[in-house]
Amino acid sequence: MDTSQPSPSLRKRGRRERKTRRSVLVAERVARTAISLGGGLTIATVSLICVFLAWVVIPLFGAATLSPARSLAGGRASEPIVACATDEYASLMWVLERSGRVSVLRLDTGATLETLSVSEQAQPAALGFDAASNVVAVGTSDGAVRLATLSFAVSYPDTAGSGEVLSTLRPEERTPFAGGLAERLADGQVRCVRLELSISEPFELGTGAAKSPPRLLDLNVTEAGATVAALFEDGRLTVGALKRTTNMMTGAETLRFRGGDLPAPNAPQSEQPIALRLLGAGDNVLLVWRDGRGVRYDARELRSATAAESLELLQSADVELTRVGAALGERTVLVGDSKGGVGAWFRTRPEQAGTVDGARMARGHWFAGDGVAVTAVAPSATSRSFAVGRADGRFELYFLTSEKQLAEGRTPDGSAVDALCLSPREDALLVHSAGGWSAHQLASHHPEASVTALLRPVWYENYEQPEHVWQSSSGADDFEAKFGLMPLVFGTLKATFYSLLFGVPLALLAAIFSSEYLAPRTRVAVKSTIEIMASLPSVVLGFLAGNVVAPLVQNSLAAVLASFYCVPIALLLGARLWQLAPQGLVLRLVSWQRLLVITLALPLGLLTASVLGPWIEDVAFGGSLEGWLDMQHGGAAPGWFLLLLPVAAIGATFAIARLGGGWVRRVSQHWSRARCAQFDLLRFCATGVCACLFAALAAALLSAAGLDPRGSLLDTYAQRNALVVGFIMGFAIIPIIYTLSEDALSSVPEQLRQASLGAGATPWQTALRVIVPTAASGLFSAVMVGLGRAVGETMIVLMAAGNTPIMDWNVFSGFRTLSANIAVELPEAVEGDTHYRTLFLAALALFAMTFVVNTGAELVRQRFRRRAYQL
Amino acid sequence: MIPAGPSPAIDGDMLLPAPRRGLPSPTMQHPSPERSTPSRPAKVFEAIARNEPHVTETHLSLQGDDAVLEVEQFQLHYGAMHALHNISMRIPRGKVTALIGPSGCGKSTLLRSVNRMNDLIDNVRIGGSMRLNGDPIYAPGVDVIELRKRIGMVFQKPNPFPMSIFENVIYSLRIDGESDKRVLAQTCEESLRAAGLWEEVKDRLQDSALRLSGGQQQRLCIARAIAAEPEVLLLDEPCSALDPIATGRIEDLIEELKGEYSILMVTHNMQQASRTSDCTAFMYLGRLIEYGPTDDIFLQPHLRETEDYVTGRFG
Repeated sequence: MDTSQPSPSLRKRGRRERKTRRSVLVAERVARTAISLGGGLTIATVSLICVFLAWVVIPLFGAATLSPARSLAGGRASEPIVACATDEYASLMWVLERSGRVSVLRLDTGATLETLSVSEQAQPAALGFDAASNVVAVGTSDGAVRLATLSFAVSYPDTAGSGEVLSTLRPEERTPFAGGLAERLADGQVRCVRLELSISEPFELGTGAAKSPPRLLDLNVTEAGATVAALFEDGRLTVGALKRTTNMMTGAETLRFRGGDLPAPNAPQSEQPIALRLLGAGDNVLLVWRDGRGVRYDARELRSATAAESLELLQSADVELTRVGAALGERTVLVGDSKGGVGAWFRTRPEQAGTVDGARMARGHWFAGDGVAVTAVAPSATSRSFAVGRADGRFELYFLTSEKQLAEGRTPDGSAVDALCLSPREDALLVHSAGGWSAHQLASHHPEASVTALLRPVWYENYEQPEHVWQSSSGADDFEAKFGLMPLVFGTLKATFYSLLFGVPLALLAAIFSSEYLAPRTRVAVKSTIEIMASLPSVVLGFLAGNVVAPLVQNSLAAVLASFYCVPIALLLGARLWQLAPQGLVLRLVSWQRLLVITLALPLGLLTASVLGPWIEDVAFGGSLEGWLDMQHGGAAPGWFLLLLPVAAIGATFAIARLGGGWVRRVSQHWSRARCAQFDLLRFCATGVCACLFAALAAALLSAAGLDPRGSLLDTYAQRNALVVGFIMGFAIIPIIYTLSEDALSSVPEQLRQASLGAGATPWQTALRVIVPTAASGLFSAVMVGLGRAVGETMIVLMAAGNTPIMDWNVFSGFRTLSANIAVELPEAVEGDTHYRTLFLAALALFAMTFVVNTGAELVRQRFRRRAYQL
Repeated sequence: MIPAGPSPAIDGDMLLPAPRRGLPSPTMQHPSPERSTPSRPAKVFEAIARNEPHVTETHLSLQGDDAVLEVEQFQLHYGAMHALHNISMRIPRGKVTALIGPSGCGKSTLLRSVNRMNDLIDNVRIGGSMRLNGDPIYAPGVDVIELRKRIGMVFQKPNPFPMSIFENVIYSLRIDGESDKRVLAQTCEESLRAAGLWEEVKDRLQDSALRLSGGQQQRLCIARAIAAEPEVLLLDEPCSALDPIATGRIEDLIEELKGEYSILMVTHNMQQASRTSDCTAFMYLGRLIEYGPTDDIFLQPHLRETEDYVTGRFG
C-alpha cells in the first residue's frame, strides 16, 4: 500500500484548509479585546470607587493653613480690649475697649471707619459681653446698667439710585458708604455692611438701696430672655433675669430686672475675683480668682441660689490664672494660666457629685502649652475652635473637642498678644498686640476630625468621662458634634456576630445534611431552593424583621426564648426515641422519609416552648420577662440558670462520655440494639438532670457572689434588637454560606467518602471525621463570605436594629451599623462638610472591612483548591 | 488496513508485560487452533449476545472449599441496565480470589455489592442473595454500617484520609469509639507491620499520610482495612494507579496476607491474577463465565473464551 497517499476514507471532505480564515482571526481579536476591556474596566471601576472615597475622605485630615500676617494701619487700641467681632464676610470689625469706645475698622485697609461709644460716661464701671447675641452690658458708676447691642446690618443697595459712589465701584473694590462699607461682588451686586449700635434704657440691678457700682458684669441672652450677673464694689453678688415690659398707654418698653443676691464668697476683700461668668442658660454662675480658686453657684432658683461647689482651676500654687473665656454655647469655660496651659471646664453629672445640684465641674480638655503665659483667649462664634494668644507674641488655634491644634502664628513684632478675633466663618484671624492689629487669612477645613476624635474615646461637653459617641446632628447651633466611629463599627460587629451565631450553624449543618445524606437528585432540588432564598430582597427581610418578627418576639418573648431550649432538646430526645423504633422500620425509611420524621420534632419543640415559656416567666421571672430584664424585680439566679444550662449540658455530656465511655463500651458490647437504645435514652435523661444540677449550683453561687447577668449580655429589652436582626440576617446569609459550603463538601473526593463508609463509618462520622476536616478551608471561606455579606448588609439592620448608636453586647438592645448609618445620614449631610466626609470615611471603612474579609476568604479558598487537587 | 473484526470493549490500561511464572510463553500467546483443545466450542459469547442465560463453568475442584462469602443467583440492575446476571460463586476462606474480565464486565460492581457500596448509587435493584459467613447481606433487617465493619475494602486509587498516618490506620477503631491509647498504638503497629509499612513510617506516624508515595499510600490503605480485622478483604484493582515497583510490593503483600485473610480482588492485569491469586473468576458482560483454580484458568481453561481472554486474544 502506498503510505504517502492518505486512504480514501480520510479524504472524503477533501484537504483540510491549513490557513486560518480571516473572519476567525477577526472574531478572535474582537473577543480578546472586548474581554480584556471588560475585565480592565471592572477593576478600574472598583479602584475608582475606592479612589473616590479616599478623595472625599482625605481632606478630613488636612491641616489648617494660616496666611502670613498683614498689618492693619489703624485701630491700635490704647486701652484693654473687652470684646471684638467681625461681620460674617470679614469686611468690618468692631473693637470694644475698656473705656466703652467702639471703633469700627475696615479689615482690608485697617482704616477706622467710625468711632462710637456704648457709654455716656467716659469710663463705665463694668462691661459684660454676650458673644452669641453681641450684646454688651454696660454698668455705670451710679449702679445702673444699659444693654448695648452691636449688630452688623447687611444690605444690598440699588446701585442705580445711590449716586456715583456705588455705580463706579469696580468688582471686589470697597468703599465707605452710608456709615458702612460697600463692596461690589463678583456677580455685580453691591453689598453694604454697617454696624448698628442700639442702647437700651438703663435699669437697676436689684431694688438698690445701696447703689454700688458693679465691678464685674456678665450677661447671657437667650431666646427666652436675658440673665445678668453682677459683682458690686461692696462685694455683693447678684444674679437675675431681665424682663421686657411694654407700657400699655405709651407703648414705651422698659427693662426690669428681677433677681436676688447670692451669698458672698468667703474670700478676703483684698483679693478680688477677676472673672464672673454665667454658664449655660444662665442657671450657673462662676466666680474666678487669680490664684485659680473658683466658686460655682447654682442659680436655677434665683431666690434661693446657693454656692454649689468651690473649685481649684489650676494645678499648682505657682501658677496664676490669666484669662477666662467661654466656648460656643457658654457651657465650657476656658481657663488660661501664666504657664501657658489652657483648661476647658464644664459641668458633669457623676454618680456621687456631693453638691446641691448633683453636678460637678470637670476639666474635660487640657492644652498644656509651653510655659509662656496666656494673654488672650478668643472662642469662635460658630464652632468649638478657639484662639490662644501668648505673652511672647505667639498665638495658636485649637479645636476643643478633638484637642487638635489647627494653626499657629506669631505677631510681626513679637509683642504680647492682647486680643484675638475669629471671624464667624473662621476664614480670618485678627491678632492685636502692642504693634496694632494684624490679619491672617485662615483656612481650617475640618477641625472636628482627627484620628483620635474619630477612633478614641473623647470627653464631650457635660459627659461624665471620655466616651465613644456618634451623634452627628442636633437641633441647636451650639451643639457639639460627636463623630466617634467606634459605636458604628461596634454595631456592625454586633450585627455580624449575632447573625453568624444564628446563621452559620444552620447553614453548615444544612450543607452537611444535603451533601452527605441526601440522594443526589433530592440534593439538587434542595440546593436550588435554598439558592432561591438568596434572591429574596433584603428590604423584604428587613420589613419582615421590623414589622412582623420584632412585635411577635416582643409579644411572646418567653415562648421565643424557651424555644431556644425546647427545640434542640426535642430534636435530641427525638433522636433517642427514634433509636427505640423497630429496626425494620428504621431501615425502610431512608432519605426524605427519615427527614420527615425528624421534622416532626420541630413543631413539637415549638409547641412545648409556647406552653413552657409563659409558665417559666410566671414562676421564675415574676410574670414579666421584660420587667426582669429591666431589673425591676427578681433576682439574678434564674437568669444565670438559663444562661449556664447549655454550657452545663455540653460539660455534662463530655464528663459522662469521658468518665463512663470506656465502661459503657465494654459492658454494652453484647447488648441487643433495643437495650442499647434504652440505655442511651437513660443516659440522655441523666445528662439532662446533671446539667440542670450543675447550672443550678453555678447560678446559686454566682448570684450569691452578687453577680448579675443583667447589665452586660442581657439588659433592658428594646423591641428592635440584636436578637431579631440576628434571626433575620441569619436567614439572609444562610443561602450563600450554604451554597459555598455545600460546594466545598461536595468537592471532597468521592474516594475519601467511600473509604470512610467502606470502613463502616456512619455518614455522620464520615462527615465529621473526614469530610469536614478536608473541606475545612472551604467551609471557612464560605463563612467569611457570609460574614462579608453580613458586614455590608444595610436594609435589614436599618429596619430592624433600631439605629441607636450604643455600645453594649446586650442581645436585647439595638445598635447602628456603618452601612445603616450611611443610609440614614448621607441624604441629610451637607456636601463637603465634616459630617459628609466622615460618612464617606465610614463607607471606606466598610469597603476595607468587606474587602479584607472577602480577600481572606478567597485566599483560603485558593489554598483549599490546591489541596483538593492533591487528594 | 485493519481488519474489522468483532470488537468487545477494549481496555486501555491493560498491562501485558513479559510473563513471569505459570503463564504461557510468548509463543503460546497466539496458540494455533490445532493446539487448543477446549472442552466446548466457542459459542458462549454468541449465546450471550442472543441474551440467553449462561451457566457458569465452575471447576469441580472448588466445590469442597470452606466459603467465607457465598453469592447465589445474584442480579443487579442500574436502572434499566442489567449489570450482573445470575452470579453464583463461593469465595474460599483464607485464599485470594481474583475477578478478571474486560472493562465494564461488572467485576467492580460485584465487588462493591459485597459491602453494599452500591447502595450509595440511585436506581440500583438487587436480586438473589449474598451471605457473609452465613449471615445474609441483602436481607431487609441488615444494618449496612455493621455489615461494612466486617468487610475491609481497598480502592483503585490510594485514598488515605488527610490526617496523620497513625490516625489513618486506627480510623476504624476511632469510629467504634475506642480510646484506650495502648490498644490504638498496638493495633497501629500490628496493622502497619502486616502491611509491610512499619519500618518505613515508624518514626513519622504523626506526619500527614498525604506525604507518602503512591505505593506507600496504598499499603497504608491496606493497613487501614486490616486494622478493622475484617472477615473478608476486598481489593478493587489495588495496583492500577501504581508504578511497577510499587505494584510488585503490593503483590508481595497480598501473598503474605494470604491464609490469614480471605481476599477478593479485582484486577485487569492477567499476570497479577496469575501470580497472586488462588482462584480466578472470569467475567464477561455481567456474567460469570468461568470460575476455577487460578492455574486451571490460566493453563487449562474449560472454555475457549476464557483461554482467548487470558492469552490476550481479545479484551
